[in-house]
Amino acid sequence: MAAPLYGLIATFDNVPDIYHAAEKVRDAGYRHWDCITPLPVHGLDKAMGLKRSIVPRISLAGGITGFCTGMTMIGWTGAVDYKLIVGGKPLFSPMFAFPVSYELTILFTAFATIIGMFIVNGLPMHYHPVLKYDQIKRGMDDTFFIVIEARDPRFNLANTKALLAQAGGKDIQELEA
Amino acid sequence: MSTHAATAPSALAPDAASASTANKSLVVGIAGLAVTAIGIALSPDKHGPVMSYLVGVTYWTAIAIGMLMLVLIHHIVDASWSVVIRRQWEHCLAAFKWLFVLFIPLLVLAWMKPGFVWPWMDLGQHIHGGGTVGADILYQKKSGFLNLGMFTAMTIVFFAIWVWVSWLVRTASFTQDVDGSATWTFKNRRNAAIGLPLGALTLTFAAIYWIKSLEYHWFSTMYGVWFFANCIRGALCSSVIIMVWLYARGDYKGILNKNHFHSIGQLMLAFTVFWAYVTFSQYFLIWNANVPEETFWYNLRELNHDGSTNQWWYVGLVILFGHFFVPFFALLSYRFKITHHIIRRIAFWVLTVILIDLCYNILPALKDEHGDSLPFLSINLLWVVTSVIGIGGVCIWAYLRSLPTTKLIPIKDPRIGECLTHHE
Repeated sequence: MAAPLYGLIATFDNVPDIYHAAEKVRDAGYRHWDCITPLPVHGLDKAMGLKRSIVPRISLAGGITGFCTGMTMIGWTGAVDYKLIVGGKPLFSPMFAFPVSYELTILFTAFATIIGMFIVNGLPMHYHPVLKYDQIKRGMDDTFFIVIEARDPRFNLANTKALLAQAGGKDIQELEA
Repeated sequence: MSTHAATAPSALAPDAASASTANKSLVVGIAGLAVTAIGIALSPDKHGPVMSYLVGVTYWTAIAIGMLMLVLIHHIVDASWSVVIRRQWEHCLAAFKWLFVLFIPLLVLAWMKPGFVWPWMDLGQHIHGGGTVGADILYQKKSGFLNLGMFTAMTIVFFAIWVWVSWLVRTASFTQDVDGSATWTFKNRRNAAIGLPLGALTLTFAAIYWIKSLEYHWFSTMYGVWFFANCIRGALCSSVIIMVWLYARGDYKGILNKNHFHSIGQLMLAFTVFWAYVTFSQYFLIWNANVPEETFWYNLRELNHDGSTNQWWYVGLVILFGHFFVPFFALLSYRFKITHHIIRRIAFWVLTVILIDLCYNILPALKDEHGDSLPFLSINLLWVVTSVIGIGGVCIWAYLRSLPTTKLIPIKDPRIGECLTHHE
């Protein structure tokens, strides 16, 4: 029994080729696709139509959570659960709760950023169908690939193949899931 | 992909239009100084306008110091993204000698009427709570540092160092435009290694002599750092205004991309947090220790002698929210940082609040017969504004006069290519 189809992979030789091919795939309206490059290509995110990451928003949510945790923790322990006067200060003051809240803001922001980055990137990922492709290691050396996934609503084996060929892709192969 | 190289050369020729703007700025500056002088002449008690003038001088000097420190930090870390902005900082450093000229009246006043601005200069002055300055043990122990001779000599040394280091970095950078030799970059790195500790020491002592010593009883180890944070924030905000202006005028079109704005916006955010950190630490440590020798400084800024809240309490809240929360949350946004009119608005906002922060540190030294601080909302605000316009006009004139004398960007800097293609 043949494994289900994961998508199509096309090979490109250099940066300008993959850059302009990415623009064509983007303009064709595909959403579930990716570029594999051996080096960071500046501006490729724009050519692919990628928006800015949502990780900063997750970080902010983590930071606000951390700050509120610090304030309520100190307020509840010192002024509600076990009332204790320390150093002649009020039972609760945002003043002395601030250093702790500030530290927790940073800690929770760091956690949220790392965890958010893992989730947004789909990590940890122990297997990816492109790893089955025998030429894939060249994507870490001197070759560029575009992969379009079969789950994309616009995916159609013949048409997508034609698009990749027209965009300058060589050696277009079907990938098993 | 890169359109920068194609459009950059057209913007390299120095322009003559700056000259007329410079003259206008000088006229505005002199007008501002003249109005301040009239204010001093007409005011029954000349104390208010003179203190307002001190606010104006320290405000612009702080921004110039911030620019100097940014140039030196740029060189010491071998930064690449800020090469084109560094050229504008270098032009701004032309203001230092004029700032010294504008500080001279305060020095002359200190000798003619000791104790008028800085109370410890007059040993016979009666202090609140009885006795004179000369009989005050807290003064006696500090008298080796706090005396008129030291004050004058140190102020001259501060300006001498700032003018000298500015001259070093400007000359090296401007000469490189002509001969293209990389040795100037190395020379500037050495200048930065000497200039940074000198800059840190001078700005700290300047803050102590000019501002903190207005209440010579007070102690705070955070004071120099607080001043430094304001210096850098003022410099970064002024840079943003210059960048947007030069971009809109066409000079920096094709030179600056959104990543330059993103990067300087990130520094603005970082120093917002830094300012909050040191300012809160100063307040928190004094609040927590609760020692009268330190708390009186904040009491002056919160309460009258009868325990009622004074205006400075609200000014303090304006600083807390306006100097930290508003710019902090605004600068978190990526879009705000790269949208020219928004980042410029944030820059103007922060520059305004820095001025309020300096007022908060200087003006409560003006007291009534009960020892209470005179209110924030008073005619003195007018003299603060005229001083800021007056001294600012002269500083902007110095900048605009320097601007057309060199290439708009350091075209032969070894890092200029990296800067023009700056990316995230």
